[in-house]
Amino acid sequence: MTAVSETDRLLIDRIRGGDGEAWNDLISRYEGRLLAFVESRIGRRAVSEDVVQEAFIGFLNSLPNYDGKRSLESYLFSICAYKLTDHMRREGRRPAIRFSDGNDSSGQWQLASSARPASSIVRSGERREIEERAVVEALRDQVSRWKNRGDWLKLKCIELIIVRGRANKDAATDLGITEQQVANFKFDFLARTRSLIRKQGLSEDIFPELYEDETTR
Amino acid sequence: MAVKFTVSELEAYLEEALTPDEMAAIERAVRKEPGLLQQLAAINSRRDAGVHTLAEIWRRHRASCPTREQIGSFLLGALGKEQTDYIAFHVEKIGCRYCRANLDDMKRQQDETADTVVSRRQRYFQSSAGYLRPGG
Repeated sequence: MTAVSETDRLLIDRIRGGDGEAWNDLISRYEGRLLAFVESRIGRRAVSEDVVQEAFIGFLNSLPNYDGKRSLESYLFSICAYKLTDHMRREGRRPAIRFSDGNDSSGQWQLASSARPASSIVRSGERREIEERAVVEALRDQVSRWKNRGDWLKLKCIELIIVRGRANKDAATDLGITEQQVANFKFDFLARTRSLIRKQGLSEDIFPELYEDETTR
Repeated sequence: MAVKFTVSELEAYLEEALTPDEMAAIERAVRKEPGLLQQLAAINSRRDAGVHTLAEIWRRHRASCPTREQIGSFLLGALGKEQTDYIAFHVEKIGCRYCRANLDDMKRQQDETADTVVSRRQRYFQSSAGYLRPGG
């Protein structure tokens, strides 16, 4: 999934110009998948449609902030997830996990974090964006190489380990391969990611998980 | 026995990115285990401080998701065996909510009447068009 496509970019430009037809096109193109996303969790069609409706309004309100770095679909899903989360919290089905200042009386789902306050270690948004861009490039480079080469086993293995956080042993069992194979896949992936990040002039130290292989291989 | 969740799964939970069953399992566990809520809060705290992880970036940018066209071909059985197998893995085993939504949407299109779809889209349009702003 790459950044915004040319078709979507043109569509967004027209919507930014207040073009109702373009807005109708966007709704027609994306509402079905957004509804499926919400309905899978809520299970009730009418309520799910309300959440999608809120997401579309949220999209128009947030349009000045959309920079096209993520695909339009991913951006719409993230707004939808936010509205869905909000709905689930209101229904008491989802915990509100935020950092209470002690004045919030919204009940047992609230939790005051004992972790370090954000202000003490806060990092600049700009720096974070540069890092994110470098990592995305490194990930896409490798994923597209595996897909082009038909290296599906490696892709599955790395996805289990990185995206799902599975241990080498569990990934090996899931895929029916040896732990050594998993360790080798992981080692190659992490080494290449570190190298690609370094090439962007960034320190790979910001992602400690890039060194996890050093103790497991 | 307490159910164990990986840090990546807890991160994905906060992003509403796990399968509905997994989301519900975490919500059930949170009610029984205060430590889990503490873990979720710590993840939020770390994020608020601007510290991100490979897994978050992978999910956020959907580094391995197939395109909608590929998912359509998957549904039609028009892909090769290995690619078909991978998409099934990505949706079922990785539990990608976004690709699952695309798949469910395409399946549903075959069952819904045109009238239902048109009237739903009109409702969305009518309720939101007032927020269209030139220069927005």
